[in-house]
Amino acid sequence: MNRRSLFANFMSDKPVEGNPSFKPHPASKGAKRFTNALLRTHEDKEVRFYDDLIKGRQAIINMMYANCEGACPLITSTLVKVHKHYKERMGKDLFMYSITLKPEQDDPAALKKFATMHGAVNLPGWTFLTGDAFDIKTIRFKLFRINHVNFDLDLDFHASKLRIVNDATNVYTHANPYTSMFTILQHISWADPPKPYDEQLKENIEIQKRIDREVKVYGYRKTT
Amino acid sequence: MSKKRKKTGKESPGVTRRDMLKIGAAASVMGPTMLTSWKSYAQTSVAEPIICDVEPENSPPHTPFRDNLPIPSPAIPVLLNPAPTKNANTSKGEAPRAPHQRWEQFLPDVQYYQEARPATQRFHSDFLPSYFWGFNGKYPSETPLNFYGSPTIVRFRNKLPLVHNNGGRNEITIHLHNGHTASESDGFAGDFFGPGFFKDNHYANAYAGIDAFGGIGNQLEAMHTFWFHDHRARWTAPNNYLGLNGMYIVYDNIDTPFDFLAPSSSLRLPSFYGITDIPLILTDKIFCATDTARGRTEMFQEREDPEIGSAPGGDKWVVNGKIQPKHAVRRRKYRFRILNTGPAKEWNLMLVDSNGVQKPWTVVAVDANFLNTPWQPTGNLRIPVASRYDIIIDFSQFAVGTSVYLRENAAQFVSVGAAPISAGLPVENVLMRFDIIGNTIIPDTPPIPSTLVQLPTLTPPDAFFEWRFQRPTTPGLTTCAGQNQINGLAFDENRVDHAVLKGSTEEWTLTNDICTNNWTHPVHIHFEEGRVLSRSIRLNPTTQPDVRTPVALLPDEATNNARRDVYRLAGQERITIRLQFRDFVGRYLIHCHNMGHEDDFMMVRWDIVDSIAELNHKRRQIAEQRRAAGLSVEDGLPTYQRKDSAS
Repeated sequence: MNRRSLFANFMSDKPVEGNPSFKPHPASKGAKRFTNALLRTHEDKEVRFYDDLIKGRQAIINMMYANCEGACPLITSTLVKVHKHYKERMGKDLFMYSITLKPEQDDPAALKKFATMHGAVNLPGWTFLTGDAFDIKTIRFKLFRINHVNFDLDLDFHASKLRIVNDATNVYTHANPYTSMFTILQHISWADPPKPYDEQLKENIEIQKRIDREVKVYGYRKTT
Repeated sequence: MSKKRKKTGKESPGVTRRDMLKIGAAASVMGPTMLTSWKSYAQTSVAEPIICDVEPENSPPHTPFRDNLPIPSPAIPVLLNPAPTKNANTSKGEAPRAPHQRWEQFLPDVQYYQEARPATQRFHSDFLPSYFWGFNGKYPSETPLNFYGSPTIVRFRNKLPLVHNNGGRNEITIHLHNGHTASESDGFAGDFFGPGFFKDNHYANAYAGIDAFGGIGNQLEAMHTFWFHDHRARWTAPNNYLGLNGMYIVYDNIDTPFDFLAPSSSLRLPSFYGITDIPLILTDKIFCATDTARGRTEMFQEREDPEIGSAPGGDKWVVNGKIQPKHAVRRRKYRFRILNTGPAKEWNLMLVDSNGVQKPWTVVAVDANFLNTPWQPTGNLRIPVASRYDIIIDFSQFAVGTSVYLRENAAQFVSVGAAPISAGLPVENVLMRFDIIGNTIIPDTPPIPSTLVQLPTLTPPDAFFEWRFQRPTTPGLTTCAGQNQINGLAFDENRVDHAVLKGSTEEWTLTNDICTNNWTHPVHIHFEEGRVLSRSIRLNPTTQPDVRTPVALLPDEATNNARRDVYRLAGQERITIRLQFRDFVGRYLIHCHNMGHEDDFMMVRWDIVDSIAELNHKRRQIAEQRRAAGLSVEDGLPTYQRKDSAS
């Protein structure tokens, strides 16, 4: 393996095969919730949605399409910032998936072009996905349906949500991409694996020191 | 290992003798370090539920009126160990918090222990047990019965499972709705704590106005029917749906316990808790098909839907933890404290006879505050999420052997073969049944006084501020489906959106500023009660966004001077209220109490500060934040004159 392919492997979306740390939560609904559809990445590789991308991982999922002009570029630029914040974790236990809403138009090349245009290409752990139209629609309904006809049939509505999942801790939540970066990062952190009691206790003691300082200086607690 | 170290009470059917032997063996090898961790945190062992994947169309059928109405037992005071302290006992596992304000002034007389933990219960005798999360494993939770002038500490300990299958979140922060509570005990949405930890909430049980009136404050500010519930940011709806809530009652010398002993100077309303004074805690749930193999009928728990809540509403109506129960009453007056615990359903209730003909009842209190004069509603009594309505029903108007019904406007799915009660009253519209079984044994209370209480005088406002509840469009989208937000911003626990000076009065305008739809927002303001001064509506938001037409106050606001802490804002509606901020400083919340909207962060933080310097600093900060976010700075700052449009 030369240096170049090592680099490519590291940078690519290719999940680490058989990594024992990617263990799903016992209550995870697995492929039943996410489907195990065969998708194609912007690097033109075939992947199974659940087995290769979600299983035992923490992931941020959004839907977009390459020639979308309003929401998608805005959200992609938000996600670039999120990626920067989580640089250390991305591609190791945290992943980002941008799935096209218009698989008929968006082939891997189109997605790669979109990713390049928004500075989202070659970022570890971030994959753009396309696939069979039926499969994509199924994933869209599985992950973003809110049982409201107007919204569920409106492709644009799906472009305006971030789904945050952690298959290892069975957390399934969402954030609105238009809210503050703080709120988005906080929602992602709420899907982090829980900290052990003793570690939290130590943290609490530190937080308490900060609170005491705040109360002394300002008369009341200011931060959480 | 620590998982099995729980005292094996009746709540742990899963622990066998063999397990116990294993535990013994494990404990002996674990050594002292493990011992400290199980002491601080022992996980309960109720088997995790297996919840159906797909939301069921209907819950399993049930027979109406099979079960008796359960009554939440009064909470028993305890002696807490370790003893409660003014400063957070962080090293012993208390969640970090600011020191209790006014601790020396209101040293706690009574201590309660409420442990959030999983348990099972049958919501109907036709159902097998369902998994839920409740305080001390009870649904509904026990009711602490308190007295003004007798401060309490409630220790909330989190014993929720570390790993769980359901849609809830094993971190909690408990809000007493709507106590005049210091910020550190107010259940701020960002102050949640995880399994193993606890937090002491200090409730002074004092009236607002401690500074001005001394002692325990201004008695005209008296509130009586409170409830406590989880307020975890983003997971309030699922955690409340799972059962983390309960009632909290405070008595004083006008609203006393034991009506037959009440002095003639008191209101002498029916008030024998559990006998003539009964909480009716309402919620709606949906259940998966009964799993006889596992012996469970699980509640369906997850739904992603910011409009109606991330916890589902459902086709089963639950009163005090039972579906469509019945309750035996005698021919006398009863007081019912109706509470809507949400997560999203608004109730439209009426008392009817078996022909569906409306029968009178009297509302005496709204959101814990006695009305100036009692109110007999005609038509439905509308109860938004988190509202409490204390009603008096005089059953002496009915003959022994007859039944009356609590009717809801919408219909539910009941069961196969349930006969309608009569043509005028379909059984699926009935929430519960009252059976009149005989004449009264305990003497009836005197007639309801024609004037209940005087209201505190409204002080002139020092400033005016507007809160706009919004759901804007998003780029490229025509539907109003963006982030639920207030004044252009969603909840951020470290960002202050408005600051008020301790002791000041402000006139707040609450505007339902939805772009085109008509979502209703039951708005809740922590800490203080308010009186609605005016209501107006925007008839045409698209073409005439600035034109507002005055509308009538709600009947109880107009004629009975209701004070509230949940203000129902219909689509495009705007109200003005007057609030006074007294006695405590710190971080408080304003939010929509439709828990789905709340979890989508239609909630923001406002602070009470006690110096002008800090107030000005906060306002500068707010201006900067809004400028940075590209929002109008003017909209984030108070004014010193009423805006014309605020009528």
